[in-house]
Amino acid sequence: MSEQQADIDVLARDVRIHVFREAAATARVPQAPEISRALGRSEPDVRAALHRLAEGKVLILAPNDGNIWAANPFCAVPSGFRVETAQKRYWGICIWDALGIAAALDSNAVITATCGDCGDRMTLEIRDRRLVRNEGVVHFAIPAHHWWDNIGFT
Amino acid sequence: MLLFRDEEHVDRWCEARDLERGVTITPEQTWRLAHGWYKDKVKPDWRRHTVDETEELLSSIGLTGAFWNLRG
Repeated sequence: MSEQQADIDVLARDVRIHVFREAAATARVPQAPEISRALGRSEPDVRAALHRLAEGKVLILAPNDGNIWAANPFCAVPSGFRVETAQKRYWGICIWDALGIAAALDSNAVITATCGDCGDRMTLEIRDRRLVRNEGVVHFAIPAHHWWDNIGFT
Repeated sequence: MLLFRDEEHVDRWCEARDLERGVTITPEQTWRLAHGWYKDKVKPDWRRHTVDETEELLSSIGLTGAFWNLRG
């Protein structure tokens, strides 16, 4: 491994810790320019670290601009899976991740989603690490071995 | 993974997209899966689960069989 690759690996760890800490604390997923400023590293280095994290399936980059789409379970943009805690509003890219936000935060949360078919609003609630309100069924369209073939669709 | 009102809605969604039906699980199972998968994700010392650990998690929730097989 070259010195530069090793440096990016070390930076990737720092970027991971920063991104997830910020996403949890602020409900906003930071992008490369602000990660660069926060860590005092160049933006190209930060983007290289983000690519390394995406290769490791730690987070997901948007296909077009290379910005973070999801530091999963935290989605960087509003979605159909809203997670409300007492303090903040978060978004998940799917119902698994929406529930995962409550788990990652170790927080009570109310999750609002819509039925994938008819669009009816549905609500789940986590309280004291228990699912105390639930409705509906969760559909996995893709077998587990192929989840990462097209994670957006999964 | 989408949430649906009931199984009939899943069928309709799949038919409309000409997709083979996958597998449905309960929100309770999904919560247990999400908790096991993500509870440490924000921690500095987080690491990816191994295949063995993921299989154990899936199995503990009753998610076994070909659909949940991680090894191809």
